[in-house]
Amino acid sequence: MPKNKQAALPPKMLPGEVLRFEDVRLSFGELKILQGVSFSVFAGEFVILLGENGAGKSTLLRLANGLLKPDIGAVAVCGHDTRQVKTSLIAKEVGFLFQNPDRQIFNKTIREEIEFGMKLHGIPTRPSYTEFRIPDFALDDDPFTLSRGERQRVALASVLACEPRLMLLDEPTVGLDDSEARQLMDAVKRRQRENNAAVLLITHDLELANAYADRKLLLERGRVADADILSWEDFSAQA
Amino acid sequence: MLTYYPGKTFLHRLDPTLKVLFAFTISTACFVFANIFVLLGILLFEFLLALSCGLWKWGLRSILGLLKLCALLFVIQILTYGDGDVLLRLYGDWVITFEGAEIGLILTLRITASALPLALMLRVTKPTALANSLYRYLHIPYKYAFAFGMAMRFIPIFAEEMAEIMEAQTARGVELDTRSFFKKIRLLMPLCVPLLLSSVRKIETATISAELRGFGLRKRK
Repeated sequence: MPKNKQAALPPKMLPGEVLRFEDVRLSFGELKILQGVSFSVFAGEFVILLGENGAGKSTLLRLANGLLKPDIGAVAVCGHDTRQVKTSLIAKEVGFLFQNPDRQIFNKTIREEIEFGMKLHGIPTRPSYTEFRIPDFALDDDPFTLSRGERQRVALASVLACEPRLMLLDEPTVGLDDSEARQLMDAVKRRQRENNAAVLLITHDLELANAYADRKLLLERGRVADADILSWEDFSAQA
Repeated sequence: MLTYYPGKTFLHRLDPTLKVLFAFTISTACFVFANIFVLLGILLFEFLLALSCGLWKWGLRSILGLLKLCALLFVIQILTYGDGDVLLRLYGDWVITFEGAEIGLILTLRITASALPLALMLRVTKPTALANSLYRYLHIPYKYAFAFGMAMRFIPIFAEEMAEIMEAQTARGVELDTRSFFKKIRLLMPLCVPLLLSSVRKIETATISAELRGFGLRKRK
């Protein structure tokens, strides 16, 4: 049973809306993480979430796919109220990339790893592996022999291969060099446009945020606000 | 579950070696006595010790958790022990007896009461203080004492990592949020691979880091 007792009324979603936070509050013991977060993400939007370390960005992403349930308020994703459905049931529509790819990878080969989600959700199409710069000859290699950047690409490939309606990406470019980071972001942007999907991505890289975001959100003191941030000076001023 | 809980209570301040000996004494006592009331008394005493350290919620949860784990043993015991006065006739010659139920209950209480003191000792003792104390008073080679301290230090880290791995797989659609215990266990098996790999990597890094700073050079005076 969800901890949140307001579960009777599922939040209504607007046409095209894939994610809706409605006055979400969440605490860990005495620590108040989110204090009334409300925002929406629509299909075809590339939204970047900014905020200082420890602001609760990763927690917000976990709320978005139901891994965490709000204490108060509601989160609706792809027509589901996260308080009512299991995360594994909405995983087909909501792709989630964790900051550390090693939490996600466990199959013996890269091919099995990428196709794992597809098989689980009954998706027959073969993903274009080359899009993620994984040459075909390496597909039968052990993913744990790859570098961190390569493992991150494999983890992303396995998320994108399922063609989710909403992609939740937690700092996918951490540990990648500039060129690798841009190639990864290009791949995400391309898939997002092709499928008219929505992206909610966390990053600390303002250059990337300015280059790829349709909209930027700032999480500060437990609340989310639309942010027009172009530089770190702006970031400090808004924070 | 076994991470250090900071505090300044009597048990917190007691020397770690004494705490180990105390815990082992209580655990041994559980195997010496075969009386339900004595075992219940020991369990109550252990709960009071936890209460004195401000850990009554943890104590209660641990007792209930251990009792749940032992429930299977209890069931096996009463279903397989056929001697004594019949309590319930199940099918044909298959019976549950008073003696079987009593032995099952003693077994359950014994395991619960013997596990709790060691767990409580770990909760009120810093791993480094424990390792140092074992080395100083029990003359355990410091390499082993250090390894023990490190193992205790890594338990919560590994638990957190396992929780993250489970979250990551649930987010991919693996039904780890199922209520079925057995299904969860079956789904968890392949996920031990990333945990094992990261554990080995972490331990390897810690070992190299310790050796680079001169670990192993010290000789007992």
